[in-house]
Amino acid sequence: MAGLATTFGSGAMTNSINEITGAEVIFVIGSNTTEAHPQIARRILEAVDNGAKLIVADPRRTELSRSAHIHLQLRPGSDIALLNAMMRVILSEGLIDDAFIEMRTENFKELRKHLLSQDIDKLAAVSGIPVSQIKKAARLYAGAQKGVICYCLGITQHICGTANVESIANLAMLTGHVEQAYTGVNPLRGQNNVQGACDMGAIPGVFPGYQPVSDPVIREKFERAWGQALPSEPGLTITDMTHRGRKNGIRAMFIMGENPVMSDPDASKVEETLKGLEFLAVSDIFLTETASLAHVVFPAASFAEKCGSVTNSERRVQLMHQAIPPIGECRSDSEIITELAGRLGYTMAYENSAEIMEEIALLTPIYGGIFHDRLETSWGLQWPCPSRDHAGTPYLHKYSFARGKGRFVPAENITPDELPDDDYPFILMTGRVYHHYHTGAMTRASDILSREVPEAVLEINSDDAREKGLRHGDMVSLRSRRGEIEVRVKPVDTISRGMLYVSFHFHESPVNRLTNPALDPVAKCPEYKVCAVNLEKA
Amino acid sequence: MMETGTMRENMRNAVTDNVFMPIETVISEIIEENSTIRTYTLRFTDRAAAFSFLPGQFVMLSVPGHGEAPISISSSPTDTDEIQLSVRRAGRLTSALHSMKAGEFVAVRGPYGVPFPVDELKGRDLLFVAGGIGLAPLRSLINYCRAKNREYGKITLCYGSRSPSDIAFKNDLDAWKADGSVDVRLTVDVPEDGWYGKTGLVTTLLDDLSINNSNTSALLCGPPVMIDAVISKLKESGMDTEKIITTLERNMKCGVGLCGHCHMEGVLICKDGPVFNVKALENIMGATG
Amino acid sequence: MKKNILKKDHVRPFLRKLARDSRLIAPVRTSHRDLLYQEIESIDSAEIDLSEQPQESAKQFLFPQQEQLFTYQNTSKGFTFSPRKSGMPTVLFGLRSCDISAILYMDVIFLRSPRDHYYLEKRRDTIIIGIGCNEPWDNCFCNATRTGPFLEIGFDLQLTDLGDRFYVESGRAVGDEILEKWPQFFSPVTEEDEKLRYQLMLEARSGFKRHVHVETAFQKIADNSVSPSVWEHIAKRCDGCGGCAYICPTCTCFTIFDRPLSPHTGERLRTWDACTHDGFTRMAGGHNPVNPATDRLKRRFMHKLYYDYKQFKRPGCVGCGRCVGICFGGVDIAMFVDMVCAEKRDQRQSAAVIGDLLVEAGLITRKQLSEALEKRDRTGMPLGSVLMEMGIVTKEDIANCLADKVERL
Repeated sequence: MAGLATTFGSGAMTNSINEITGAEVIFVIGSNTTEAHPQIARRILEAVDNGAKLIVADPRRTELSRSAHIHLQLRPGSDIALLNAMMRVILSEGLIDDAFIEMRTENFKELRKHLLSQDIDKLAAVSGIPVSQIKKAARLYAGAQKGVICYCLGITQHICGTANVESIANLAMLTGHVEQAYTGVNPLRGQNNVQGACDMGAIPGVFPGYQPVSDPVIREKFERAWGQALPSEPGLTITDMTHRGRKNGIRAMFIMGENPVMSDPDASKVEETLKGLEFLAVSDIFLTETASLAHVVFPAASFAEKCGSVTNSERRVQLMHQAIPPIGECRSDSEIITELAGRLGYTMAYENSAEIMEEIALLTPIYGGIFHDRLETSWGLQWPCPSRDHAGTPYLHKYSFARGKGRFVPAENITPDELPDDDYPFILMTGRVYHHYHTGAMTRASDILSREVPEAVLEINSDDAREKGLRHGDMVSLRSRRGEIEVRVKPVDTISRGMLYVSFHFHESPVNRLTNPALDPVAKCPEYKVCAVNLEKA
Repeated sequence: MMETGTMRENMRNAVTDNVFMPIETVISEIIEENSTIRTYTLRFTDRAAAFSFLPGQFVMLSVPGHGEAPISISSSPTDTDEIQLSVRRAGRLTSALHSMKAGEFVAVRGPYGVPFPVDELKGRDLLFVAGGIGLAPLRSLINYCRAKNREYGKITLCYGSRSPSDIAFKNDLDAWKADGSVDVRLTVDVPEDGWYGKTGLVTTLLDDLSINNSNTSALLCGPPVMIDAVISKLKESGMDTEKIITTLERNMKCGVGLCGHCHMEGVLICKDGPVFNVKALENIMGATG
Repeated sequence: MKKNILKKDHVRPFLRKLARDSRLIAPVRTSHRDLLYQEIESIDSAEIDLSEQPQESAKQFLFPQQEQLFTYQNTSKGFTFSPRKSGMPTVLFGLRSCDISAILYMDVIFLRSPRDHYYLEKRRDTIIIGIGCNEPWDNCFCNATRTGPFLEIGFDLQLTDLGDRFYVESGRAVGDEILEKWPQFFSPVTEEDEKLRYQLMLEARSGFKRHVHVETAFQKIADNSVSPSVWEHIAKRCDGCGGCAYICPTCTCFTIFDRPLSPHTGERLRTWDACTHDGFTRMAGGHNPVNPATDRLKRRFMHKLYYDYKQFKRPGCVGCGRCVGICFGGVDIAMFVDMVCAEKRDQRQSAAVIGDLLVEAGLITRKQLSEALEKRDRTGMPLGSVLMEMGIVTKEDIANCLADKVERL
């Protein structure tokens, strides 16, 4: 998010999902696309069938890497080293897009200086990938007319997440791979409405549509509409609340549709914070681990029981219709919020969700032309869509970047906050499996899905397993400086020695008790992807 | 597909027996065979609902709330009108069963599957080879043949277990040894103190036997690796593959050939098996290489 | 069997009569412009649309995605099991030939011995009114599976769209009964109608955009000449999501599980299951006889294109093409058939000859041969070299074998 904002001026997929099909080269980095974004993977595979070349950078041999032409099996947390090395090759071999750099970007000199100071052999050694492979990948990507980069949480969930993203943006601008169809930089959003939640200002520091709270003109616009004085200072980030809540003076919390006891790093700390609150209210469709700590639980309606819009990865705002009336006592999220606001003395009277959408359009320029009646008859509209007669925007930054000129932001490789040592000799990576969603609150209620993947599995290199005397199915206790869990092991050949991989869906093996809450200083995203652990047979 | 006129007639006149409805039974006795295997004696609460079966057949066992699983009948039809199921604790349903006590209720439906060819086996020497829980279906046949001992030849059992304390069906083994009806030979993978018997895979027991191939049928049940090893050993010794009989284990949901889970190379294990002779199995597996 | 003409204006009044005593299912254009077979609650407000192939088959009306088998109640005196009654008179209207053929396939699976009680209850009182396809859609290949675009049997009534009117033919006594019961809607067929219909059927047959050589694929599978690289490619692309099985009108596999409703009561349910799921064949304790994904995919395609072919003289695929649109990995059945048919034959066959000779001579086993063939396909080395490298045979063995063969000739 933050990384694309500083370089391009807008933190969203620059392309539409369908454009991936038309790319010549696709560079996937930090994304297990087949399992986490099957609809995107489908387009990538279609592109490959059409003759596109696929480069995958991932520490694990993922399903998608089996279809790749080049698989860069880098060390966890060495993305910047790899990207800098690729850029260094592109620079030395004269593969840069001079015209694009000249016309559309700024600060190239700095990047050039920085890259020239880098030693490619050293960078290769840091990333653990042979120089020859890096050269091959760099030439392939730079040589294409239409090059698409897709990245995901493997890039952002590091202490250097923002710098990782900036480096990706550098690579794309260096080769002129932005501002066109079938060509761009695409952060893949995990859920059907993560983009929408960010768009609506569910990040500290901005109102809906990324309008900063610090801007007095904008603040006044919202104050007039809402009849209420609004703060000019950014709010707290999640970990500021869940880890340092008491220090930050938080006495009560209202949590909607989140399960931080399972999903936030150093989860024991989160539980401690929530238990220490004077009052906790949780709204969710199931009684999650977090909800069971609450003083009051609001039963929320599921997607099928309510009407409203969601905004997906490609900035597409889509309308979802109510299929069935709410079951039992449950209410839609908007009803819960407006009712609650009313009891607290602030009246929020909306006839329906269409009226809420009208208010969004009124106050949010990028949503300015998006109304329910327009969504009703289409597959949705992609923002920016500033007015009713605007058809929406399939790809961003056409003719110029959102911030004017694209800015190169050079970065040094930053090693992960916690590296393996004698006490904790393994690197633990976390991620998802195809059959489960987030903390399993929904998917584990499905009999077939829980039969498919009934429990967490710790992937370990088979040589490491042999050395440790571990066999498929053995239970191990996995320890980090923050906690300990039990989990079943599966020796595999798809990860390198010294690495471990486990999914975070299962409360029986709550892996986020182990993960490191160290944050990216800009985006405040925790380093879920790397922490040091040790294991022994349970 | 099939001609539809007759199908329609069949439908109109069908007596709609519902194969999915289980029959209630009460657990009358539980025998602890080893730390993970128990034998449950089930009595039909409605005697009229009791069914007859042959060794090698299985039932779908229900523990309502926990589902159903295929379990082979380990008692002999010659015993009583009760049935016995020997169950190893492996999954959700079997764990639930293991927590139950005598007097509690479970339900069964069946019997299903092709039984051992008890008529073909008449007059022949029988070599039983089993590993672990694999003795359960063979126990049914052994006791059946013992009860009709004049009709069958010499009975030999080679039984492999993981360790001496894992040896299951000790009561049966003792009884068979005591009356001399079965030549019982045991082996374990991992010996413990006080074990003076054989150590090693069950195939090592076969080395000590002199088998008259022309008049012996072999009946095998156990883990797939064991079965493969025993089959190659017997083939090596010149036994006709038609005379080597085994019973397969698969994930099954319906037991009657509808649900598709046990489909294997065009064959439904629940209906066309679970008992197969090795020649038939090789034909099935070889159908497409 | 009888033939008649039904004016399009009279379709709605005719359906109103049919729906009086039955549940009526027909293709409905929903408010989001999807086209789905749906139960019609109001004939006047539903937008019944016979212009395209519906997005899903009619499988769910005879074999629902989830279905209660019975409820159980647990008391100290034992169990009470109460089976669910699920049958009711139903008219399936506007079914495509592929979807009717799929029902005929399900009849075979569910109604051979022992019969599936729940399917039978619903099927027995079902009337099928189909419609032939004048124009096949992009992914259709029912010509290759011999399940369309028009049917000879299997329907009670079959419609053909002649523009402002339907040509209606009856396929069974039940169809005749319907025509006789409401004669007011029907008029006699003219010679011109017959000609037009014949012309439309011919055009439909030549209108297929895809040519999927299902029978060639069957032959090649039967000859054991699908190379492991085909299975590898498919497995690599399969996510195991089960979408193909859920959308497939002939996939009838299901699983059964219990869902407690209270401490002492609950229901036993069955739901659709898919053979591409890893848990489909996994046994309690974790052992899985059908693993990895290559085995599962092999099993799926072999079932449809080989075992069913052998057993029923037809594939277990009705050529509806729906799996083409649903698969995330692009490994649908049509693509598989294309891949199998595109494989070169010559080299494989000569290799197969050497391989077979070595097996016959007892120098190698079938298993060793298939391992070697796999390796050959992976490495591109000749079969003989692979076998020698594996240390199974010597150069002399191969030479002797070939010499024997020449002698015998």
